[in-house]
Amino acid sequence: MNTDHCIALRDVSVGYHGRQILADINFSLKTGEFTVMFGPNGCGKTTLFKTILGIIPPIQGTITYGNAHYPGFGYVPQRQILDEIYPFTAEEVVLMGTFGQVKPFCPTTKTNRAWVEQCLKDVGMFELKKHLFSELSGGQKQRILIARALATKPGILLLDEPITGVDIMAQRMIMELISLLYKKHALTIVMVTHEIHSIPKWIDKLIWINNNKVLIGDSLEILAPLIAEEASFQGTLWH
Amino acid sequence: MEQLLEILSPHFLLKNSLYAGLIVGFVCPQVGIFFVLRRMVLLGIALPQVSNAGITFAFLLHTLGIHFLPHMESEKFMALTGSVFFTLVAIFILAILERRRKGFTENRIGFTYSIAGAVSILFVSWNPYGQTEVLSLLKGEIVSIPDIYLWLMLAIYGTIFLCLIGFHRSFIVVSYDADMATTIGKKVILWDVLLYLIIGVVISFGVMTVGPLVIFGFLLIPAITARMITRGILPFCIVSSIIGVVASFLGFYLSYRFDLPTGPADIVLLSAILLVSFLGKMVFSWKR
Repeated sequence: MNTDHCIALRDVSVGYHGRQILADINFSLKTGEFTVMFGPNGCGKTTLFKTILGIIPPIQGTITYGNAHYPGFGYVPQRQILDEIYPFTAEEVVLMGTFGQVKPFCPTTKTNRAWVEQCLKDVGMFELKKHLFSELSGGQKQRILIARALATKPGILLLDEPITGVDIMAQRMIMELISLLYKKHALTIVMVTHEIHSIPKWIDKLIWINNNKVLIGDSLEILAPLIAEEASFQGTLWH
Repeated sequence: MEQLLEILSPHFLLKNSLYAGLIVGFVCPQVGIFFVLRRMVLLGIALPQVSNAGITFAFLLHTLGIHFLPHMESEKFMALTGSVFFTLVAIFILAILERRRKGFTENRIGFTYSIAGAVSILFVSWNPYGQTEVLSLLKGEIVSIPDIYLWLMLAIYGTIFLCLIGFHRSFIVVSYDADMATTIGKKVILWDVLLYLIIGVVISFGVMTVGPLVIFGFLLIPAITARMITRGILPFCIVSSIIGVVASFLGFYLSYRFDLPTGPADIVLLSAILLVSFLGKMVFSWKR
């Protein structure tokens, strides 16, 4: 595994409109690592995640990216935030991933179309490419959003709650797909989740966020006693 | 049939009105797509009203003797300036408040609609001279359009159409998923401002030509209809404009044939197309 740091946070505080949610965050992510950020709903995971992505500016501190410029992020949002009024086909949603590479007034190139088809194949959704995105199941939509993130040719894949709101079978398929892509594309992956059972055992880094605290460990086992202690202290139930 | 051939003749007296209607029918649905997809339909009601307030204000100023050109033509250009100015100011204030999440969107738009409607009536009541012109706008009577105005309209709407086609990907991705757009390097605020600018210009110029009712109809009804009967964003865009052009042409023909005001005829036709599409879709779904 490559040990270069691709993202490093130093004394970072995050929040919205000047209101601080998390403070003094210090950690770095190495190229090729699989990192999971987890914690209960509303703890600030998505805010931290969006700050890393550059969507929200940090309130304090600095975020540095590996080779000094913004890396190629493949962003998989929570599918519930996407409005279903848009009449996109699955293929059109994935094609959106190539929009950063195409100049205005230029048509979509054959290379990009072929790449989109490859991404659809990688997530097992090629056959459904002409279906309306809004008519797909939760698990299928999630796979299309992963394909869209792959279409950006990312160095780092960031997934925000990828298994929330889908059934157990779909959850398992999505996690298998993420594992497969991690190995096949040698990607750096950061996944946000509040579901502890979805965290694979072989992850490289675990960032636990709760009650304005950020704990970092190499695996769930290392953090488990701390999490249990904190959860029982707060009366939080972890399933 | 005779009237149809007359309309299609290059020497047709009202040909500029027909061309203006076709331009509106073609371009407005492309802007309306974003009203429907970004769920800004209410804004589509309020902005033409604001534009109308700008026009009545300009007429009032003209009657009071404040104008930049010495002859009668200044009236039309002043009205256009008033329309553009009022619309752009309103759209940017509403957009800023929306971004800062101050209050509720519906309340802001409802307030804008009411105040714009009220001041329009007040400006007209202080200016009986402009009353006829404004009433004709409100009724959507597209009758006399000078050549220069038609060419100006073609230039402006043509530029807007080219912008919408050329920057289509950016407008779409910024509207659909602003966070994702940021991660692929799109400047979301910049694209939003450009889109609002386009909306402001299309509405203010369109209201000057065909009136607020017709503009509202052409912005929304073709896009709503196309959304119902198409799959995929490209067919959605193409079908929206086809519906707009067909309704504009048939509306003009019917108004000429039966001596009806053009604007309302266009809107009734658009609504008929919407209704037929809805029923057709229901029958199709039922058969499946």
